[in-house]
Amino acid sequence: MPDTHFYRYDDYDRTLVRERIAQFRDQVRRRLAGELTEEQFKPLRLTNGLYLQLHAYMLRIAIPYGTLSSRQLRKLADIARRYDRGYGHFTTRQNLQLNWIRLEDAPDALAALAEVDMHAMQTSGNCIRNVTADHFAGAAADEIEDPRIWCEIVRQWSTLHPEFSFLPRKFKIAITGSPNDRAAVRVHDIGLRLWRNPEGRVGFEVIVGGGLGRTPMIGKTLREFLPREELLAYLEATLRVYNRYGRRDNLYKARIKILVHEIGAEKMRAEVEAEYAAVRDGALRLPAATIEAIAAQFAPPALPHRPAIAAEVERLRLEDRAFALWLRSNTAPHRLAGYRIVTASLKPAGAPPGDASAAQMDGVADIADAFSQGEVRVSHEQNLVFPHVAVDDLPEVHRALGRLGFAEANVGKIGDIIACPGLDYCALANARSIPVAQRISGHFAELARQHDIGDLKIKISGCINACGHHHVGHIGILGVDKNGVELYQISLGGDVDFGRTAIGTILGPAIEADRVVGAVDSLVATYLERRTDGERFVDTYRRVGAQPFKERVYAAV
Amino acid sequence: MAKNLSGELHVASANRLVDGVVVFLGDAGDWVTDIARAAVARDGRAAEILLHRARAEAFTVVEPYLVAVSEDDEGALEPLSLRERIRVSGLTFHAIAADAVRYA
Repeated sequence: MPDTHFYRYDDYDRTLVRERIAQFRDQVRRRLAGELTEEQFKPLRLTNGLYLQLHAYMLRIAIPYGTLSSRQLRKLADIARRYDRGYGHFTTRQNLQLNWIRLEDAPDALAALAEVDMHAMQTSGNCIRNVTADHFAGAAADEIEDPRIWCEIVRQWSTLHPEFSFLPRKFKIAITGSPNDRAAVRVHDIGLRLWRNPEGRVGFEVIVGGGLGRTPMIGKTLREFLPREELLAYLEATLRVYNRYGRRDNLYKARIKILVHEIGAEKMRAEVEAEYAAVRDGALRLPAATIEAIAAQFAPPALPHRPAIAAEVERLRLEDRAFALWLRSNTAPHRLAGYRIVTASLKPAGAPPGDASAAQMDGVADIADAFSQGEVRVSHEQNLVFPHVAVDDLPEVHRALGRLGFAEANVGKIGDIIACPGLDYCALANARSIPVAQRISGHFAELARQHDIGDLKIKISGCINACGHHHVGHIGILGVDKNGVELYQISLGGDVDFGRTAIGTILGPAIEADRVVGAVDSLVATYLERRTDGERFVDTYRRVGAQPFKERVYAAV
Repeated sequence: MAKNLSGELHVASANRLVDGVVVFLGDAGDWVTDIARAAVARDGRAAEILLHRARAEAFTVVEPYLVAVSEDDEGALEPLSLRERIRVSGLTFHAIAADAVRYA
């Protein structure tokens, strides 16, 4: 199937990637021959997304704005089979990580990636990382404008940008085009929210200095409304200010959130605006023709008219409980009547969250070709999304996903857990994440119970770097190492959806691993006893406070 | 740099350059994948010497360092820290089989 309604690499893109692979192939050869030391080689391999983890090298592959064609997904499956152990891990930044790559195979894996216009550049290092977006982009019923147009513009501007390849620390940008934020823009270094002002013009709210990690912070709005054509000028100004004033003396204070916090939003705004005033009318002002050319590449697929109500769907809704639950939790409104957005849950009960085998990736690609215009998205919640599914195809998509093990009706529920790879893989981690997630999702496997509990997001990180976004989990779980013992710190009340961004509050002392499931059970029981009609877990927590939850969890201590 | 070495047993570990596999320095100065064949330093001075040897033999491995271990009555070695036990034992859960669709 040809790649339509995707950005397509031009000769410039392809040449850049091809040359980069050739350089890296030679760097790997020299390292293996002993001509480069590890100290010399490490920054080179990291620049190409190749990390050394506990057991093996890990390749972090960039999936720009979380969008994949079926052809690209099949290639990822192929690479996982040929160069890894046949599976991969979809991450909270919409990337894919392969955990068992051999150094000598890495250039070939990257060359295979390049065949489908993909790479692993800028998935490490103190540079502008892969730009993430709303995973419902281009399909969402509430969308003002497709944010991927702007992600692609930022990608082209930031790729190998010489001024921003040695920032004080890594830099993450997220863009949403909907009022209901599904891209967590307020916890990124820069978050961009497209909105329509009272005059009817579409522009960006620019949010700067958000982030999780050791010091979680919600970003501050530096600009309420930025004309779209001035986006790159404003980004360049912001990055320039960060490059100039960001802390380079302390790794833990190097992110832009610390700079904004230390000098204050007013001072930061003044600095950025002064820089912006100097560059706004220069070469970075985006010509209308450039915007239109990129936008044209993201033109929505020509979706034929389909019935908004399908008899088979209505019959199954009444007769098939599993289908009815799935319809409710795993499908979302599409901008067109007759279509739905379908989320494939990569969270089967008891499974490692976000993992997919090569066979499953191929299966998802087949479903995308047959039922979703050959297109797949990766969500920051580690699921895969089919953006354009006709309503009358939903029963077949449900059956096909069931055969893959991805039809669990738990999206947004307690089983849909975000988890970083944790100490099973990661060289930075202090504690395991995946086994904890497996035990919790196994304990709450019963789907009717999950739906009764309602929307409840558990997010687990194996260290303070917070790749599992625990700070913004309704229930956040952070693994810590205390004198060689794995303990887990629970926080409540975090949120990241629909403009309700909040950082969770620690409930109390960290608990042992074998008590985590019981603690979550106690939290859920407390909520069920106290909730009022329509209240989510996090709403009840906000209304009644931490004390009832705390008393129940620590009663046995 | 090594610390708290007194009275502890240590082995030298690294990741193999070509594929990242966990290895240990053996008695003959070779890098082995089985911790049972690792050279053991039984005091602080021996640990420092072991680390120097490991660094001198580091052409085919990445960043050697010392790992504190315990030894049972049969001489079996086990790292003290969970991180290092996981490096020895591998994942603590079952990863997805490459071509199996798990729940079909």
